[in-house]
Amino acid sequence: MASFLEIRGLTTKVAGFTILNNLDFDMEQNELRVLLGPNGAGKTTLIAMITGQYKPFAGTIRFEDQDITALPPDRIFQTGISRKFQVPNLYETLSVFDNVMVSLRGNRKVFRTLFRTLTPEDEDRIWEILEFIGLADKASDAADTLSHGERQWLELGMLISSNPKLLLLDEPTTGMTEEGKEKTAALIQEIARTHSIILVEHDMHVVRQIARKVTVLHQGQRLAEGTLAEVVENDLVREVYLGKGKYG
Amino acid sequence: MAPKVGNNRATAERRQQRKRTRAARKSTFIPLWALLLGAAVVVAIGAYPSYGSNFYVLSLLGKFLCFAIFALSIDLIWGYTGILSLGQAVYFGIGAYFVALSLKINYALENPTRYGGKIPDFMEWNGLTELPGFMTPLISTPFAVACALVVPTLFALLFGAITFTRHIYGVYCAVITLAESLILQEFIIEYQAYTGGFNGITDYSNYTNQQFLWIILAVTVVFFIGGRALTHSRVGTVLKSIRDNDVRAEFMGYNVANYRIFVFCVSAFMAASAGALYAAWVGLVSFLDTGPVFSIEAVIWTAVGGRATIIGPFIGAFVVKGAEFFLSGVLAFWWQLVMGGLFVFVVLVMRDGIVGTIANLLRRRRKHAPLAAVIEESDRKAHDRQLDWQPEGNPTRSREI
Repeated sequence: MASFLEIRGLTTKVAGFTILNNLDFDMEQNELRVLLGPNGAGKTTLIAMITGQYKPFAGTIRFEDQDITALPPDRIFQTGISRKFQVPNLYETLSVFDNVMVSLRGNRKVFRTLFRTLTPEDEDRIWEILEFIGLADKASDAADTLSHGERQWLELGMLISSNPKLLLLDEPTTGMTEEGKEKTAALIQEIARTHSIILVEHDMHVVRQIARKVTVLHQGQRLAEGTLAEVVENDLVREVYLGKGKYG
Repeated sequence: MAPKVGNNRATAERRQQRKRTRAARKSTFIPLWALLLGAAVVVAIGAYPSYGSNFYVLSLLGKFLCFAIFALSIDLIWGYTGILSLGQAVYFGIGAYFVALSLKINYALENPTRYGGKIPDFMEWNGLTELPGFMTPLISTPFAVACALVVPTLFALLFGAITFTRHIYGVYCAVITLAESLILQEFIIEYQAYTGGFNGITDYSNYTNQQFLWIILAVTVVFFIGGRALTHSRVGTVLKSIRDNDVRAEFMGYNVANYRIFVFCVSAFMAASAGALYAAWVGLVSFLDTGPVFSIEAVIWTAVGGRATIIGPFIGAFVVKGAEFFLSGVLAFWWQLVMGGLFVFVVLVMRDGIVGTIANLLRRRRKHAPLAAVIEESDRKAHDRQLDWQPEGNPTRSREI
């Protein structure tokens, strides 16, 4: 049986540098996968590739038995993949409520959208999400008045409201306080009960808190895969992160 | 996550939630006070010929209303969607030319020229002896009006299909629209046997009277309410989200190009209607009405009135154009200096325009950056993205310039 997300031989080159090098990656449904790796390992690039931001040099990406390699971003979204950017991307002048509202799942064709009204079910769903991410009290504030942490949560809320099958979260805890990180980790664990998630994360506290299965990338290749404990014990990983133990 | 809440809640609770939602969306369709004020303004303008005797002011009122519709069309694409067009007058001009040509041809049929020809005088000057075959359908004015509305809209569709699907926006889009309008101007000047060239089309029976003023008013009201409905709908919210962050919208599954094309066509239709009314009211259409200067003027009206507000373009057109007519009478030599000062003042001090600034003061949402700044920021981001790195191999659709 083909897996939920299946990447074969993915290669990306930027200005002569190979960012991803013949990468294979598999993932099952309802899995929470953490991507680790030093700077420049290709984590963000992998996410950009899956969501169609860049077209690969070689290789295929299959999602639920559908080849999504060459599709534009909006079509890839419609197959059920939502992405959170490293720096929160919001609709700055819209209210928090409207930010979630435009992200609600539904037909995105122009004329269908034109006559779409806010049904009571939609309304309930939006309030439910706003309460979940803890921004219900700020529902009428413009997005650009939010603090950095709140922006991250709002973007998470927007992703959930689009009800994706797979969420790609690129460093959702960057620049947060300790409490913020804890709250985000809790949110992600909650989301992971019903969704599949690929998470890029640097903060090891957060990773320890939520990681189930970890993939380590290095120089565009898969270096190791397994539970966090296994990966941490892996000699190759130690070498990459700590350098060769010449005197050890 | 909490389980999904069903639809079988107590009505009081439901009403409470509706109220909350409305507050969160900050919106009623048209507030009562705005409706009353709007009605008062419409009646005052429409009834002017009964109480005012100044024909000059009457002719100005009709003109300003056309300009207001035109400015609204720019507000839809610029204020709400973030597409700056410096060639919107192309659509205004095409609409105006169709109507003017039709009226002129009909006028010539009844009033032969000096040499007895039943064709418009400018055709005769250019050596034509009879009406060119492709222009004969324009004898029917209803057909000409239909053309005036449909042709510019199709033009906009074509333009949008070429540019927006290739992700050309921001400065690049502005430059292309500018070129578009220059090309049309050249075309009109070059083919003067059919378009009247430099002199434009004039000397036909135009409609500067109270009945026609009511028609213009009716169209204005329809477009302003329609514009409010559009920007207030779900599509309106999507358009604003595209303006704020088109990448996010694209990765949220919206085909950004289609939305841009849609709003561009709606806007072109509005501009064309304004042009058609203008030609019938003023009785003079020239290549200047299709040019970049006129487009940029309309962009200024919108900026002064207030971007991303429905009533802003109306106020902007009336204030700027009104000030222009008033000042050019009073300060014949340096009124342009005063106008320039006004624009600098608006750009520096009232960045959200007259309406936006007042709304900000009323709502006291001062902690929120001015809309203009946000739009600028997103423009800049769009530009940076286009200079962004590109992997080898075929770039995706979204990376092309």
